[in-house]
Amino acid sequence: MADQAIVGGKQSPAGYRPRSIRWPDRILSALFTGGLQGFCFLFLAVVGGLALELLWGSRLSLRAFGIGFLWSTEWNPVTQQFGAAPFIYGTVVSSTIALALAAGIGILAGVFLAEFAPRRLGIVLGMLIELLAAVPSIVYGLWGLFVLAPVVSGWIGPALQAAFGFLPIFQGTIYGVNMLTASLILTLMILPTITAITRDLIAAMPMRYREAALALGSTPWEMVSKVALPSVRRGIFGACMLAYGRALGETIAATMVIGNRPVISASLFAPGYTVASVIANEFTEATTNLYLSALIELGLILLIVSLMVIGIGRLMVRLFLR
Amino acid sequence: MIGLSIPARRQLKSLLWTAASAFCATGVSVVLLLIMGYVVREGVSALSLSFLTQLPRPVGVPGGGVANGIVGTLIIVGIAAMMAFPVGIFVGIYLAVYSHRHLAKSLSYLADVLAGVPSIAIGIFAYTLLVAPFHHFSAVSAAFAFAVLMVPLVIRTTEGAIAVVPRELREAATALGAMEHRVTSKVLLVAARPGIVTGLLLALARVTGETAPLLFTAFGSQFWEFDPNKPMAELSLQIFTYAISPYRDWHQQAWGGALILIVAVFVLSVFARLSFLWRGGAGIGRGTD
Amino acid sequence: MISSLSKLHRSEAEPAPLPAENRAAAIAELPVKAQVRNLAFHYEKFQALRNISLPLYDHRVTAFIGPSGCGKSTLLRTLNRIYELYPGQRATGEVLVDGENILAPGLDLNLLRAKIGMVFQKPTPFPMSIRDNIGFGIRLYERLPRAELDDRIESALRRAALWDEVKDKLKESGLSLSGGQQQRLCIARAIAVEPEILLLDEPASALDPISTQRIEELIAELKTDYCIAIVTHNMQQAARSSDYTAFMYLGELIEFDETERIFTHPKERRTEDYITGRFG
Repeated sequence: MADQAIVGGKQSPAGYRPRSIRWPDRILSALFTGGLQGFCFLFLAVVGGLALELLWGSRLSLRAFGIGFLWSTEWNPVTQQFGAAPFIYGTVVSSTIALALAAGIGILAGVFLAEFAPRRLGIVLGMLIELLAAVPSIVYGLWGLFVLAPVVSGWIGPALQAAFGFLPIFQGTIYGVNMLTASLILTLMILPTITAITRDLIAAMPMRYREAALALGSTPWEMVSKVALPSVRRGIFGACMLAYGRALGETIAATMVIGNRPVISASLFAPGYTVASVIANEFTEATTNLYLSALIELGLILLIVSLMVIGIGRLMVRLFLR
Repeated sequence: MIGLSIPARRQLKSLLWTAASAFCATGVSVVLLLIMGYVVREGVSALSLSFLTQLPRPVGVPGGGVANGIVGTLIIVGIAAMMAFPVGIFVGIYLAVYSHRHLAKSLSYLADVLAGVPSIAIGIFAYTLLVAPFHHFSAVSAAFAFAVLMVPLVIRTTEGAIAVVPRELREAATALGAMEHRVTSKVLLVAARPGIVTGLLLALARVTGETAPLLFTAFGSQFWEFDPNKPMAELSLQIFTYAISPYRDWHQQAWGGALILIVAVFVLSVFARLSFLWRGGAGIGRGTD
Repeated sequence: MISSLSKLHRSEAEPAPLPAENRAAAIAELPVKAQVRNLAFHYEKFQALRNISLPLYDHRVTAFIGPSGCGKSTLLRTLNRIYELYPGQRATGEVLVDGENILAPGLDLNLLRAKIGMVFQKPTPFPMSIRDNIGFGIRLYERLPRAELDDRIESALRRAALWDEVKDKLKESGLSLSGGQQQRLCIARAIAVEPEILLLDEPASALDPISTQRIEELIAELKTDYCIAIVTHNMQQAARSSDYTAFMYLGELIEFDETERIFTHPKERRTEDYITGRFG
């Protein structure tokens, strides 16, 4: 039989190779696993250290003022009285206005880039907007201080006062550096994020949704407003939270245009102060331990709030993209 | 008779909203372009050889430059990269290779969250850790703050770059009998290299021009300083100081500095994108018959 | 009488089917390289394989066929435990290779995989030069002088019928080759480490007909040296290139026999339905 020779059990040409794992490989393998885990724990330690250091640094202030720190409006280094209310107010108001403006404009712009724009224009504008997200905040601050602030006090402010002067938020003397200018600068800074994510989310929507809606006789806008946007609403909400978190924590640009006065004033034309700005301005001037501790506690508040906002936003985006 | 066309009112509404969205998109682009144009216009008039090569001069003395700030920025960002890149890359590898482990899942989320921590809070952290105990400001503390800012970005991009390497490539290397560390270092990392490089460049772009944490870490300096253990000048810090000063010629210098920053950041961002497009290059463009 | 009739019909292809009365005895004589016993496989809670038992003969090609989702790839992936890369996948039962149960805990997976080569559906050249692609596997467990390494690389490429096409561009990236060449590169890479068993997971399904033919010729040549298991969804390919065929359906082994018998006289109704294309 032809087969018999093979059946006889011929072996592979070189014979079976005895193999063993050499010791350098064993060491490298252990180093690899151990090293990777080591870096992971280092990373964990840094994140944990960040939170603990801020907590520990705040202890004097926490003990002295307790929870009342959050709503006390007194900020007086001379009398050693510290309260966070003006800063929290300024931060929340400026960021919320910025989010409201940026969400409206950014979502529409994202829709245009994903759905309505001619292909080339969409790509060019999209790349431009993405590139502008990388512009350092100091540049926005510089522009806000020297260009936008005069425009706000000379044009935008008076115009708003003339039209809506009956509203308390548009009353009083119009300063150049004020809450409104800060809000507008923050709007510009977070617009690219919201626009880009909205565009990506809508562009990633399956083509069949689009076709189904149009085949049913929807107008292009009805397709967007009734199908596209609802189907990605959680992702867009997440993007807005990310942008809101960024606005809350933005330091240098806000510091340059908000006026830095620790008062709560109804008018958007009056100067304000943000949590991040007061840390930036006064940290190196804090002469007593309690003063420094109060500033660190502000940092802790900022950390907790932005972590909550961003944590929720990330969760939404992640859940959505899964 | 049922109308075959969409009622005019709905058509009009659609048209108006489309126009509004076009207006928003172009409006945003135009405003942002105007800002850039303004920075370029003001910045160019401040730029000169002496601006790039000389130390700052006292108020009232014309001329002077930001040379020490540029060098300081390079030093601080360089040290920060040395701290952040290894941690970011290795943690990213861990997250991609052991993606099913609980530790990896929580670390991945943690990196996302850390990416959103305000830079000023990270500045406080660097201050309490590296400035307060030694009683002096230093470039190292600034670099540490920058590193903490960069690490989550590097982690996420490294993780993502490895995760998109085809599953089969890892299986093929493993099926040859290669141990995990070889599969990762010789195959996965090589395949993921363009994506990782992109992430590193984007991380550099992210911290170049970051100012807030520097206020109480690097602190700034009027002089040449190369010792990372001492306070050091930094470009964006100089811009900030000049901008909020009342002096006209310092304002001009601030614009010059801003232009340099923008150019640096744009170059980094563009390279980041190109590196991704090139994809390491080998074999691309060569015929497959 | 029956045996002489079947002789008239037999093709030229190896191996020669044995006369029916001798077949059982001959099978018993063939060396069994691997024996699967009562194998079950789970993805999390889903059971993908149940109670699989079959032999893999040395110097023979065994084909796993069946509709998609039948578990044929899973079975192949159990043989070198590559499934362990993913959590939640586990195999129970026994796979005896040369009498040793490779599913046993404590076995060194790297050494096991060095002994059992695998080629995947999609060509998987590593992002490195052609030479390094082959050298990668060899260098894992052997430290060779350069000249000897080059010899090994050349011989692997020759056996994979790729040498003539790439001998002048060994330093170029493996990605620069065409799809069919890439797949032969992967086969060369697998045999360069001189394994004892070769697992082929639909190695030709992503290739054009000419490349497919070359791969099939290659399989026919390689089986003189190896025990080969091949997963294929292409029944003609199974009929052409294998000696034994296992038909699987819904995670169970329906029928295992000589390829010629499976394709001419299947014992099971479901096998017949599948090979005649009467299957959903």
